[in-house]
Amino acid sequence: MAIAKAERLMNLALCLLGARRPLSKRELRESIEAYLEAGSDDSFNRMFERDKDDLRELGLVIETVENLDGEVGYLARRDSNRLPPITLDAEEAAALGLAAKVWQQARLAGAASGALQKLRAAGLPEDVDPYGAHSALEPRIPVHEAAFEPLMLACRDRRPVLFEYRKATAARPEPRHVEPWALECWRGHWYLAGFDRDRGAERVFRLSRITGKVRSRGTGFTAPVPDVVTVRETVASWAGEIADRSALIRLRSGAGYPLRAKAVKVRELGDGWDELEIPYGHGLDAWLVEFGPDVVVLEPAELRADVVDRLRAVAEG
Amino acid sequence: MAGKPARTGNAIDQTRRMLSLVTYLRERPGARIADVARAFGISEDELVADLDVLPMCGTSFRGGDLLDIDTDGERIWWHNPAALGEEAAEPLRLAADEATALLVAARAVATLPGLRESDRQALLRATAKVETAAGEAAGASSRLSVTFESEGGVFADVDRAISERRRLWIRYYSPARDEVTEREIDPIRLVSVGHTYVEAWCRRSEARRTFRLDRVAEIKILDAPSAPPEVELRDLSEGLVQPAAEDPEVVVEVGPGGRWVAEYYPHDSADELPDGGLRITLRTPDPASLRRLALRLGRDGRIVSPPELAESARRAAREALAAYDVPAGAVPVP
Repeated sequence: MAIAKAERLMNLALCLLGARRPLSKRELRESIEAYLEAGSDDSFNRMFERDKDDLRELGLVIETVENLDGEVGYLARRDSNRLPPITLDAEEAAALGLAAKVWQQARLAGAASGALQKLRAAGLPEDVDPYGAHSALEPRIPVHEAAFEPLMLACRDRRPVLFEYRKATAARPEPRHVEPWALECWRGHWYLAGFDRDRGAERVFRLSRITGKVRSRGTGFTAPVPDVVTVRETVASWAGEIADRSALIRLRSGAGYPLRAKAVKVRELGDGWDELEIPYGHGLDAWLVEFGPDVVVLEPAELRADVVDRLRAVAEG
Repeated sequence: MAGKPARTGNAIDQTRRMLSLVTYLRERPGARIADVARAFGISEDELVADLDVLPMCGTSFRGGDLLDIDTDGERIWWHNPAALGEEAAEPLRLAADEATALLVAARAVATLPGLRESDRQALLRATAKVETAAGEAAGASSRLSVTFESEGGVFADVDRAISERRRLWIRYYSPARDEVTEREIDPIRLVSVGHTYVEAWCRRSEARRTFRLDRVAEIKILDAPSAPPEVELRDLSEGLVQPAAEDPEVVVEVGPGGRWVAEYYPHDSADELPDGGLRITLRTPDPASLRRLALRLGRDGRIVSPPELAESARRAAREALAAYDVPAGAVPVP
């Protein structure tokens, strides 16, 4: 049976970490059983390159150096691979324990437990049931979008990407070339902010509207990355949460609690209706229509016309 | 080997874990399997699988210095700890992904409005220490961020009621019925998936219910003890709304402007229509609750079935129009 990959990676890591000098590829091949069994030079070389990349993903710093004979050697220096001293008390350990459990995405969940395990090996206090003793909080970060992982890696490595994106109201997706800056999760949905190369400007994309594969395109960014990327403000304005005007409506008594919760002013009219002044932002017309005959828009005229138009569409539908 | 092929991710996670495991075990001769599994956040089976691999590993298999680690099923013994030099046994630096995963999660949890102040302080201290220890690896963590939403005061009251095992009285808004109802609930746990929810035993409906905190209009902690019946906790990772197979089916057809429906409503199927729209089939215990959706869609979509639902939306729209003095079919107000 072929030797399991985890065993091979573990042996390569231990060989490199245990050596006090650079090891040549030949030495490594002779020291690790899986490499001896690899067969041809080609298949060994491919395996070895992949394994080095995998160990680097795990955080191992492997340097390539030439030895006295001009032969290439690989070295995992003690200084560059040691976790600097870190002391955490029981409360801090419990807090990190809770945080490490929130990811629902395989790669990040694995990475978060890996981080905790490294800290555990470095003496992170144990035997504390994270928050179990005094809180029933279970925060979870959902990640359902397939585009998440490739975009996360592209943001990390600052690599431009190409993907098909379907705008909220568009029937067909269109290709977008983007220099990805940051990903943000808000209200359970993931958004990407970046520089849209074709439009020459910053854009925010919702990950659930990306169709098909995210592909890497070329190297390096052409536009500067801003110090602060504001995904949330952009999304909030889409959601109509940034209101610059107000509207006056009549609302049936007892109905429309969320409208009341947002109201700036409420006046009881005494005839089974109340008059409310509410913030008027993008999308208010669609929201008001949901309340059907329990809402009547008084002003502005523009909002009144939009609501009437929507109601007519439903009435005739 | 039977079953699924081993995923690469598993080998990576396992290697990562085993590297920390050797450091950890070297310091703790005779460590108990149960304790080590708990400390590493893995099952005992996973740990035993690691212990099967470790004796095949060493700094060189030719040198005969393979790690001589074994277990009697209860404790773990390492007979030649010297096989691993000090260098190879030191705790390893955090990788960029590890630092990102832990720091982004920690920062997100620290934003939870109802988090106890002492817990928040502990988390912020821990975050700062991890940032320092991670060094350069912490840099990329600013490229991911997560904000949990929840209502601070409500959260704190629910959290307190759970820890003190007390019953809650709430006024709760139900969008499906557009009404606020009073209930007494026995809280079980708080869950944050985008929004924050409390899962509780609702004494009014005599059933387990999930309440979204931003829909709690008012809350009081009662003196009565909370006594939720023993119920198995559901796995909520697939979403809070999990329609049952016997729920009635609703079919909605939307144009391009209504495609968002497929993003917000869990559905059984969403088939492309020639005009760029979708035909969405979903199930809900209470189709009447979708009247709001039908009204909201306007020109962007319509309910195909059940016909009663489509008719109730039309009726509501006609009734609403009457208040504007523009019956359906009339010329709109300029």
